[in-house]
Amino acid sequence: MTAAATDKLSRLAINKAGGTMVADYWEDVFLARERGQKVVWYNGSALNPIFQAAGMAWCHGEAFSARLAAQHLEGPAQLAGSEYGYVGELCSYARTHLGCAVLSQKRSAGSGNGPGMVGLPEQEELASRLPTPDVFVNAYAGCSTGQQWDDISFRVFGKDVPIFNVSMPFLWSNRPGEGYMVGEEWETSSRYVADQLRELIPFLESITGRPFDWDAYRQNMAYIKKASELRQEAMKLCRHLPAPATFWDWIGNVAHINFLPANQQLVDFYTAVLAEVKQRVADGEGSVTSERYRVYFDGFMNWNHLGLLSRKFASHDVAVVAGRYTHHAFWQEPQLIDPDGDPLLGQAQNNLLCPMNHSTRTIQDLVLRDSEFYGVDGIVFHSTRTCRAFTNPQRIIAKAAHEKAGLATMFFEGDIADASFYKDEILESRLAAMLEGIDVRRARA
Amino acid sequence: MTTAGASAQAAIAALTAAADDPDAYVAEWKQRTGRKAFGVFPMNFPAEIVHAGGALPVLLQENREPDSLGRNLLAEFYCGYTRNIADQAAKGTLAGYDGFFLADHCTQLLGAVDVVRSEVPDTPVYFGQLPTSLTDSWTPERARLMMRSFVDEMERLRGEPVTDAELAHSIAVFNENRRLLRELFAARRAGNAALSSSQVQALVKSSMVMDKQVHSVLLREVIDGLAQVPRDGRIRLHLSGHLCHAPRPELLATIEECGALVVDDDLFTGRRYIATDVDEQGDPVAALAQRYLDRDATLPCPTRVKHESDWEDELVRAVESSGAEGVIVLMVRFCEPHMLYYPELRKRLNERGIPHLLLETEHEGLPVETVQTRVEALLERIRRTSATHRTLEVTR
Repeated sequence: MTAAATDKLSRLAINKAGGTMVADYWEDVFLARERGQKVVWYNGSALNPIFQAAGMAWCHGEAFSARLAAQHLEGPAQLAGSEYGYVGELCSYARTHLGCAVLSQKRSAGSGNGPGMVGLPEQEELASRLPTPDVFVNAYAGCSTGQQWDDISFRVFGKDVPIFNVSMPFLWSNRPGEGYMVGEEWETSSRYVADQLRELIPFLESITGRPFDWDAYRQNMAYIKKASELRQEAMKLCRHLPAPATFWDWIGNVAHINFLPANQQLVDFYTAVLAEVKQRVADGEGSVTSERYRVYFDGFMNWNHLGLLSRKFASHDVAVVAGRYTHHAFWQEPQLIDPDGDPLLGQAQNNLLCPMNHSTRTIQDLVLRDSEFYGVDGIVFHSTRTCRAFTNPQRIIAKAAHEKAGLATMFFEGDIADASFYKDEILESRLAAMLEGIDVRRARA
Repeated sequence: MTTAGASAQAAIAALTAAADDPDAYVAEWKQRTGRKAFGVFPMNFPAEIVHAGGALPVLLQENREPDSLGRNLLAEFYCGYTRNIADQAAKGTLAGYDGFFLADHCTQLLGAVDVVRSEVPDTPVYFGQLPTSLTDSWTPERARLMMRSFVDEMERLRGEPVTDAELAHSIAVFNENRRLLRELFAARRAGNAALSSSQVQALVKSSMVMDKQVHSVLLREVIDGLAQVPRDGRIRLHLSGHLCHAPRPELLATIEECGALVVDDDLFTGRRYIATDVDEQGDPVAALAQRYLDRDATLPCPTRVKHESDWEDELVRAVESSGAEGVIVLMVRFCEPHMLYYPELRKRLNERGIPHLLLETEHEGLPVETVQTRVEALLERIRRTSATHRTLEVTR
């Protein structure tokens, strides 16, 4: 990547400060035991406002795997997972996290025989810093592997750590009139999950040995609601030409809404995000300095290549304005949260609205709706090797995008946390071909 | 050959024909009966309900065709079964079904079934998600509600009620069929080597496809005429895994040609399919729900969460019970629950000193030479280490 190409990308400045918040959060988690806090390992849905109100420290398995991959520190954990017997085609989030489980266990048992590879012992240091769990809570929407993964974590720890499973119905829409936030399926599923979350509370009380702080939970949900509203407003402003921020910026601050503590600092952060985006709109400043194309990103994030991908698209004057991962997850329906009424229902509903937890028909509608709203020229599909849940509807959506919306589409291969599946030259050539196709179409128009 | 023996061979041939070409069987059955056939996706949909509704439930099988059109609809890193289902949908092979039922929340399977929905748009596809975490306090009621929803859907498709009496009758028919198959499995486990593993597979696979009562009649003929063939000096193996669909018969034949005798299995197209019956007393919907909850206790499955039972324990118990000297784990490539659980199996087998081998399978292509080399290496390892086997060879 040339210096000139790199210069075409103007990231949101606020994300730098946001990075410190994330680093501080993880440091806090690593020291939870020293503070005498109970530690919960969880996967899937953002249950952290509940854990926070219970006074626990929370470790989101996928988030930690993503962090390791983004920092290029995933190697030792994946190696430990591989040595334990996990096949390389298994979800790389799960493989990485289970590798961390093996390393954390070794560390807590004082038997950390590190890998004999240069540099790996230092990397292993971070992977093994995850404090061992006092409890597992699983609430995984969309992907069947999510629940099985935590069950295996439970087994890796000798079945000695209590586990609580929240069963999340897949929103399939059997009947006409059922779909995104509508119909009987939506209503019954919402209540079913909310009822299970109500059961989770006494379970957590039994772990912490103290009453659940409902006032704190309501307050947490109020912060989440406000933060989400700010984030949503900022994201929608990217409809402007040039786009003031891109998918990569929203990836850069996704951790905050996903698992950082719900507090005034979180609200302040997204207030600052919105302010910067608004200022850019007012100044006519784009995130890609010479935006000529805009595309939608469908697929899980490729954490190993976040920087590379953001620079690559910018170097081709492509603004990736939105994506299914960033825009259809992470409390994206804040109006459902009622902090003063039944916040568990709004929590359950947002947890259900995971971008992998809908049938293809619904996802197709959402993606095409977004594509129209943001005025994209095409859709880039990240065929995410070890995440079948996210990849499921992609081929059918691509077909519909072509036939119904006349959009250009392309696929590239990669993965969430396993760098080996990414093929740079394939992306490069397919992207160039797609952009040429868009040029031709424009010329004809 | 006795008359009973000849009848048994004829019955096996008929069952194998249905197992080899389910599409032809279903087409012929529909034409002959004028009734409906419903495609059922593995592994936990209670097919008794479709049977009670007067229709033929057909557990959809992977076919022998190379995938082509379906490759445009589902990525290449899905299991062979789901990719092949997508291919069947794209090629119109599934057009003969009057509807489809799915009860299992498997990410890859949902992807394939969504392809079916897209490619066969006018045919109803009903998904009732059975809870996969089996010991939560709310799970029994949820399972019962799902079973009820399947009955309701069947009534809607049929256009008239499905009565408790019809359900009870179908439950009895299915139980009887499972019992007959278990009889054959028990004979194999006890030492009768009359059936090859490919033949055993054909018996189970045809049960998934055929009219159950007709199947049971043929099974009785197989049982009545089954020769008593004592085990010979071949190494006794247990086959484990291969969820959702059948491993290729050629793979089973290759394993046996290497000098092994399969004496038991926990394959889906094997003992897993027939292991658990439904209570024939009381409310049939509740009984179907209870059977679902019991299945994991009978034979633990990595797709379910139930901490009171462990697959590795059951595997060791089965190996000891059948006298198997080793285990071949057949893993469908890209099958995530199996990939996740495999280290637990491996750990336990190692602890117990049970030789084992992992073989991954794909829809297309069977690397016979590689499989032979690996199986022969396993058998050689067993020969060198198994005192039992050495004793047998000396006394022979």
